[in-house]
Order: sequence, then C-alpha cells, then structure tokens
Amino acid sequence: MKAKRTLRSVALIAAGLLATSTATGLAANSANAAAKSTVIINETSAMTSLNSGTPDTNLVTNSDIGYLTGAGFWYYNDGPTLVRNKTFGNFAIVKNAPNDFEVAYSVNHGLVWSDGTPITGADLLLSHILSSSDYSKKAGLGDPTSDTPSFNSGGYGGPYDSHILGVSLSNDGYTVTLKYDSFQPDWQIMGPGPSPVHALELMADGKSGLQSLSVNNAAKAQFVTDFNNGLKGNGSRLKKLGDVWSNDYNIQDINSKTNPLLLISNGGFIVSSAVANTSVTLVRNPKYNSGPALTKTNPLTKVIFSFVTDGAPAAQALGNGEIDVYDGQPDTATFQQLKGLKSVKVETGTTMTYEHVDLRTGNNPGSEESATEAKYDGPFADSHGQKAQDLRKAFLLALPRQSVVNKMVAQAYDPSNQADATVMNSNFLLPAQPGYGTVTAGSGVSDYTDGTQAQRTAAALKLVQKWYPSASAGSNTVSIKMLFKNNARRIGENLLIAAEEAKAGFKVSNVGNAKWSTLLDDPSYDVAMFAWAPSAVSQTGNNANYQSDGSNNHYGWNNAALDKILKALEAPLSASQITAKYLAADKIIMDQAWTLPLYQWPSVAAYNSKLKNVKPSPLVPNMVWNYWEWHF
Amino acid sequence: MFAFIARRIGIVLLILFGSSFLVYNLEALSGDPLSELRTSSAKNKEFLIAQMTRQLQLDVPPPLRYFHWLQGVLGVFTGHPDLGKTRNGLLVVTEISGAIPTTIRLVLGATILAILLGITVGVITAIRQYSRLDYTMTFISFLMFSLPIFWVAVLLKQYMAIEFNNFLASGQITLPWIFGASVIMGLVIAGLVSGSRKRVLSLFGITFLATAGLLFVVNLTDWVLKPGLGIVGVGLIVAGIAAGISSIIVGFENKRVLYASLTVALATISLYFPINAMWSAKHLNLLGMLAPLLIIFAVAVATPFIFTRVDRGSALRTTVISAAFASLFMVIDRMQRTWFVYSNADGIDQRPIPTIGTVSVRLDSHNFWILLMDAFVHVLLPTVALTLISFAGYVRYSRASLLEVMNMDYIRTARAKGLSERTVIVRHALRNAMIPLTTLMAFDFAGLIGGAIITETVFGWHGMGTLFRNAISSQDLNLLMGVFAITSFMAVMANLIADLLYSALDPRIRVGN
Repeated sequence: MKAKRTLRSVALIAAGLLATSTATGLAANSANAAAKSTVIINETSAMTSLNSGTPDTNLVTNSDIGYLTGAGFWYYNDGPTLVRNKTFGNFAIVKNAPNDFEVAYSVNHGLVWSDGTPITGADLLLSHILSSSDYSKKAGLGDPTSDTPSFNSGGYGGPYDSHILGVSLSNDGYTVTLKYDSFQPDWQIMGPGPSPVHALELMADGKSGLQSLSVNNAAKAQFVTDFNNGLKGNGSRLKKLGDVWSNDYNIQDINSKTNPLLLISNGGFIVSSAVANTSVTLVRNPKYNSGPALTKTNPLTKVIFSFVTDGAPAAQALGNGEIDVYDGQPDTATFQQLKGLKSVKVETGTTMTYEHVDLRTGNNPGSEESATEAKYDGPFADSHGQKAQDLRKAFLLALPRQSVVNKMVAQAYDPSNQADATVMNSNFLLPAQPGYGTVTAGSGVSDYTDGTQAQRTAAALKLVQKWYPSASAGSNTVSIKMLFKNNARRIGENLLIAAEEAKAGFKVSNVGNAKWSTLLDDPSYDVAMFAWAPSAVSQTGNNANYQSDGSNNHYGWNNAALDKILKALEAPLSASQITAKYLAADKIIMDQAWTLPLYQWPSVAAYNSKLKNVKPSPLVPNMVWNYWEWHF
Repeated sequence: MFAFIARRIGIVLLILFGSSFLVYNLEALSGDPLSELRTSSAKNKEFLIAQMTRQLQLDVPPPLRYFHWLQGVLGVFTGHPDLGKTRNGLLVVTEISGAIPTTIRLVLGATILAILLGITVGVITAIRQYSRLDYTMTFISFLMFSLPIFWVAVLLKQYMAIEFNNFLASGQITLPWIFGASVIMGLVIAGLVSGSRKRVLSLFGITFLATAGLLFVVNLTDWVLKPGLGIVGVGLIVAGIAAGISSIIVGFENKRVLYASLTVALATISLYFPINAMWSAKHLNLLGMLAPLLIIFAVAVATPFIFTRVDRGSALRTTVISAAFASLFMVIDRMQRTWFVYSNADGIDQRPIPTIGTVSVRLDSHNFWILLMDAFVHVLLPTVALTLISFAGYVRYSRASLLEVMNMDYIRTARAKGLSERTVIVRHALRNAMIPLTTLMAFDFAGLIGGAIITETVFGWHGMGTLFRNAISSQDLNLLMGVFAITSFMAVMANLIADLLYSALDPRIRVGN
C-alpha cells in the first residue's frame, strides 16, 4: 500500500517535471536567434607576421590575412581568372616597342588608408624596391643574390627583376609607369601593389602612434624623396625603412600596446587583436574604399582566424560551432564525418597542384653537378634514338592513369565510389581552364586515352617486343628506377603503376624516398612521379618545365622545335593564339613521350551552411577571395 | 654524495651530447627542407632556394652544422644562449617559452589528478584485496590503460562536448537518463560495500531512489543551466569532508581534532558571504581571488593550537586539508554560479564545452570568473582524457606496493602492538608503500614539458608536442633541436632527482660508495 502511494506520487512528480522541461526547453532555444556577423576561419598554421612578403613569412595564413587587409589592382576569382579591381585603379600598356615596353598604373583619386591618409602613386613605389635587385644594389641596400638585403623581400629574382628598366611617378602623383626592356607576357601580375609608405617613414623615425593628416602626407613626400635618393645611390634612410619593413611587422601578439602604425591597411578589414599561436581578430575597416564594397545584407563585422587544428579535429569543431570555415585535404573518415554534419556544407574541389609522371631522356643541363655526374644512359635516354622513344611511349601507354586517378581522387573520400574521375590530359592547361578541350583534342594525347587500358598495355608490350623480342607480361625485361616520395599517396600510385607496367615487360622499382626532392637531377632514376604546385596563372607558367634550359627541366628534355614555340609564348598573344601554341607544344611533348599528367589534387571545403556566397578557389587566398560577398 | 652527483652530471652531459648529435643528423638525413620550393613553379624559385639555403646553412654538411647549433646552445655558460631561428624566422626560444606554459596547463592537472585518484583507488583496492570492488577497479583500470588516447579524445568530444551542448539547449534530463544514471549509481555504491545480499540490495535501492530524486530536483530547479551550491550546499559538503578527513587521519575517537576541523567548516560558512563579496570586485586577479581563502587557512592553522595539546601535527594536517577542500568548494560554488553567465555570453552562444583550442576566440570579456571558466572548459576534456589513460598505472603500482608492505614483519608487529587497522595502514604501511612511487612521479613530471603530442594535436593545443611534430614534418632543425634539448634535459635530470629522492626517503638505499 505504502509502496503504491510512493509510486503514484513519483509518477505525478515525473509528469509535472516533463511538462516543465518541454516548456523551458522551448524558451531556451528561442533565445539563440540573434543574427551572426562574425566568421571564424580555421587555419592550420599560425600567423607569424603582418608582412607576408619576406621569404620567411611567405605563408598561407599570413597572405590570407594580408588579402583581407589589402586591396590592389587585381585579384584571382574562383576560376581562377584574373579580375581587375577597377575601384582601386586602372593599368594599361602605354608603349609596346621591341626594346621598350611600358605599363602605366593609375590609382583612383579619393582612396584612403585606414588612418585616412590618401592612397597615391607614391604608395606603389615600394614594390620596385622589393623586386629590383638593381635598385637594391644601387641604393646600397645589399645584393639580394649573395646577401640578405635591407628589404629582405621574397620578390627578387623573378622576371620583373631581370627585365625592369625604370619606374616613374607622374606629376599629379597618382600614376606609376613601369618600363621593361621587352614585352612581358605576365605584365598583368607583375605590377606593383600599394604599401602604406608613410607608416614606414613614421616608424623609421620612431613614432608609435597615428599622426595627423599633414604629418602623414609629409612622411609620404619624404618617401618619394628617399626613393629618388636611392636611385642616386644614397640609401641611408631607406636602410632604416628596410629594417622596419623586414622586422617590425613580424609580431604574433597584437593588442592595445601594439604600434597602430603597423596595422594601417586598405582592405575591407583591419587587424584589431591577435594572440600568438591562437587567433587573429579582424574588424571592419570603416574607411575601406579600395575594393569591391561589402554586401548590403548583414555583411561580416568581424573575421577571426583561428589557428588550432588540422584534419580530423576540424570536423568536430565545425559540428560544435567553434569554427565556421575549413578547407584542406582531410582523410576519408574525416570527410564522411563532415558530410554527416547537419549544419555544415561540404564542397569538393581541386587545387592547382597536379601530379605527373616524367621520363628521363638525359641529364638536367642546369644541374649543379651535371659536370661531375654520370651521363644518363638508361632505357629512355635520347642517345638511344628510336629505341628509347618507343620504350618511353610503351611506358606511358601502359601507365594505368584512370585507375590511379580513380583510386586517388574518386575514391579519396568515398572508397565505394565507382565513377571515373577526371584524368588530366594536358601539360599546359588544367581541365577547368579555357582552351583545354581544343588542346587535348589535337595534341595526340588520344594515343594514351583511346581504348581500354588492357588494349593500351597490349600495344605497349608490342612496342617493347620490337626491341626485345623475348619480352612478355611479367618478363621484367626493362628495369625502371622510379623516384617518388615514400608517403601513402605515392606508394599507392607506385603499386598500381608497377603492376600494370609489368604486363608490358617493365620492372618498376618500388622504393620511395623521403629526400626525393633532392634527387630530381639524379641520373640514376629513369622515371619521377611528383606534383607541380603553381602559385599563379601565367601564360608562360610551364615554360621552365619543358624548355631545354628550363630550371624545372630535371629530366633533360631537349627539342629545338619546342623551344621555339615556348619562346614564342613570351610575346603578346591573343587567347586563341595562346591555345594554338599550347596545342603545338603539347603535341611535341606527347609525340616525344616525355611526360604525362595524372590529376589535380583534390581538396575539401566545409563551412557553416548559414554562411552565404562562399566560393572556394584553387589559388591562395583559397576561401576568402570574395570575403566582401560573405554574409550569414 | 658530491662525487656521485658530479659523476652523474658528467654522464648526463655525455648522453645529451650523443643523443642530440644523433637526432640532429637523423632528422637532417630524413628529408629535404627545400622540397616545397623545388616543386613550386614560382618564377624566382632559384632565388628563393638560394635564400633558404643561406638561411638554413644547407651548404654545410649536417654533422658540421650540428656544431654551429651546439656552439649557440653552449652560450648558456657565457650567458648568451642562442637556439637559433625557426624556418619562419621566429626565435626558437620565443616559440618554446610560449609553448611550455600551454603544455604545463594541459598536462599538470591531469598528472596531479591521475596521481591522487590512482593512489586512492590503488590503496582502497589493496585494502579490500580480491573483493568485488577490487575486481571492478582492476577491470576499469586495465580498460583505460589499453585505450588509445586519440580515440578516447574523439569520443569525449562527441559526447561530453557536442552532445552535451545539444542537451544544454533544454538542460532537462530525460526519464531514461534519470533511470539509467540511478541504476549505475546504485550499482557503484552497492559494489563498494561488502556484506549480506540483503544489505547490498537495500543499499542499491536507497542509492537508486536518492539519485533519481536528486536528478528530479535538478530538473525542477533548472540546475544544469543555473547550477550553484549556495551557502547550505557548501556548508554541508565542507562539514562532511572535514569529519571524513579527521576520521581517516586520526580517527573518530579523537574528538578534539574533529572539533578543530569542524571549526574550519564553520569558519567557511560564516565567511561565505564576505568572500563572495570580495570575489565580485571589478578588477579581480588571481591574487585577489586567492587572498580571501587565506583566512580559511589561517583558521585552519590556529584551531589545532586551541583544541589540542598532544599530537598537534596530525591535527594540523587534518585542518589544513579540510581548509583546502573548503576553499575548493567555495571556488566550485562560485564557478557554478558563473556557468549561466558564461554559457550565455556572446561568443559562447550556449555551447559552453569546446572541442579544440585553449580559449574561445570570440569571447570578449574581462571578467575574471568568465575567463577562468573559459580556461577551465577548454582544459576539461584534454584533462579527462589524459587522466583516464594515465591513472591506471598509479592504481596498479600503488596497489602492488601497498600489498607488498602489508606482508612485512613490521606491519605484523604494529598489529601485534594492538594498533587500530587505520593507524597501521595510514601511519605504518602507506608511507613506506609510497616510496617506490616517487620514481614514477619524477618521470611523469619530467614528461610534463615534453608535452603530449597526440593529445595536443587532437585538441588543437599549441604546446611542446605540437612544436615537436611541426618541426619534424617541416624539417625545422633548430626548432626540433630546441624542443629536444629541453625535454631530454628534463628527462635525464628527473632521473637523477628520482635517484636522490629515493635515497633520501628510504634509509636502506645509499648513493655513492
């Protein structure tokens, strides 16, 4: 009886509690509806500097932050195609004579830095100091090729450095004209970007607070004077500026004690605080007028870069609302976990980095050891003439590209995926780039794509048998030493390749090497498999790979006709002319059977599904290129 | 003694030299710091490679380069140590000095908790050898011992962070959970006692009902969302603990010590409101937080002199431990009342338990308690994970050690003298049983600096483990060697200290000749 009564009262209390619990539960949920305008972006490495221009600080995180706090003449969209930022200014070729190529860059009037100082042509001049060794040497700032110069910039040594003749600032102070010794195919991306030179001047004078407009303008005028003095060989003051530029921006903690001059920028956001190895917080730049305007609907007010995690932990952090944006190359399990999150949108894409297989025909003529090292005399050596070419062709025919790509791309995130992934078929263009269809249709790559792999391998065996009549599947007639990194991806690829090549009579070595990148010029290797990682879209981007004296031509390829075509790519050309050159060049490479591309590395972007307009791009600054369009 | 230490330090230096030389060269041989540059298609790639080669002195062969590094390190003797720069141009010293506090924050709490919990459980299981409790704890500790930390961490994040945060949307414990929790609680408590079946069953029933009732009250008062002990809760808990500690250390029959420790509890209750008022000060810092608690400790030091005349040492131990617990619960109560404010703060958005990082990057607050809570919730899951994994070792060691001591002749003598079992265990057995554990502890504290590579990675902490991992994967020799130098020095020194400590604690051991 007593027990019954207890039970009844317990049940009664329980029912009452249940009712209250549902009521309070609803109340708690509705309180969470305030509109969000802060986005937290995950970065795998920490910010090391506000200046990503030195060789030490040229890291993705630093440049992403630099992108949000800066705006210049152009940017890459998710194409990736170059987009001109007309809000900032215009640039155009003003003279195109054989020995005199001039480009003028004009900054629009009315643009300001975050401290209110007008942006003018003077702010573009620093770029010249950062990229021209000649200037550095003349002004007594040091020779970048043999020493660390005052401006420890990573910009020396490129085509700008070797072709620039001079820089001039217009009378109104808003236009800078660059003069090169010849036409520059990449003239668009070689142009200058703005730097707050008045801040450099003020900091070199030991100032540690924002100054009045007149002081700022005087500092800017001082910079123009310093720049001209440098041309005359007097760089004593520039040395001080170089010291500030190279060292003072290297800070990881930013708070109210930080010199505000370091934070002056012209992007949509401005760094407000940072904790070393933890996070950087950026707030809206109220004076921003140098680039595309922020979206009207609930634009971001704060961007936080959080440096906490890579791979697997990111999925759970996204699920828990601790980060909003993630991109990377997660493993299968993490990808599945990301897919399973309700409030997270997952997009798969590709990076610019692409995998390829190279066959050696000779030594790299540019290699430091080329004089001392043994001459390459392996099965693919040019010195063997037709025999080597047939063997190269056979090797590439038996290369199981589709199954490698399926394994590494289609099944990277979903092992059960049976669909065929895209095999890359051009040595010059990525599948998404315009002209790819034309080039692959005519380049003769069809030799390596037509029919089934079994048919191609059979054809390969016939070619081998032409020189080694006894060759058969598994006969191991031709031994091939393959260079690849000993990581999971490459070992997997090597196994697939070795198995298929064996059917054509090749015996492919199966030992990877951690120091593979130091062995690219080692003539004991017949084949190399690795990836090129382009950092820009350039008309002549791949020339160095295939030119007989190219710096990336590790496998000794040498073809006069090809050299001529690649040389012609350095001239001003229309889009269709460029495609035609690529087609002709690719045809020679396919015909010579030097190399075949495999695939672009896959990447994954995952972000809070409430965040709108995120469009991942394969080039740095990957996710944030269109931050002005983002909103919740 | 002096000769022994000198000889040992000499050996230590030799070991450090040999191992650092080996590690430097192995790492230098294992990869190519320029690989990323070599596959880039940057137009000025040759310039960049030359720059990096110059900066990292790659043109010098690794065995020679090692001596460059060593020369910098040996600067400690001239007062100008130089550990070099990382690949990204940061000073290695800065990187390491930034990482050490993070690592200590991560590992210290877990190590102390593991030692306290492990020894307690080990001692209890040794006393109740071959009981149900012993078997249960042995099973649990072996289970924990065998769990991989990355897996435990992922589970903890899923259920103690993500699912718990989801649960906080309502904060109401559902009936199945109440039932389940009550059953488990009943089983645990019933498992602790031995006795007739009837006694065990009734204890199970009582615990079951008490737990269920408590959880209903928790639901009714929204305690999960707005927790707090209040003056009554703190008072009851502190008084209970004070009585319990006095019974363990001196026994209930010693009423004077009991009164002394209860006075500490009474003082805590009467200071409850004043201390909380002091804690509400606007610009509170850690000192300001700890200062008021000193009053409780002052009382704890004073009471033994008022209440007892003999054996004041034990009385003092009792009251000071009671005061420590009293302070702890004062802080817990305060933190509980911060919980609601914290979880509703902007940047927390009612998801208070995080899965990664050391701080909430969106939280913008200067309130001491909010920041303390933020630090606490971030350290919570890693600490739980590390404790779960490492406490098993202490359980097994302390159990085995105590069992061995309990078979000694002097224990039999103590019993024969007619001493109570409590005195025999606490005063005679336990102290001697703890000596071998000092070795274990010395090593664990040396490991503090080394960091927990996997735990740091999974929880996104930037400590020594992360530095070590990054240094290896990016071929950052200076950074790697910096981390290695510090951790290997700590390890060999801990070894030395453990030996010296051992000889100091155990008169049977002599160092030297």
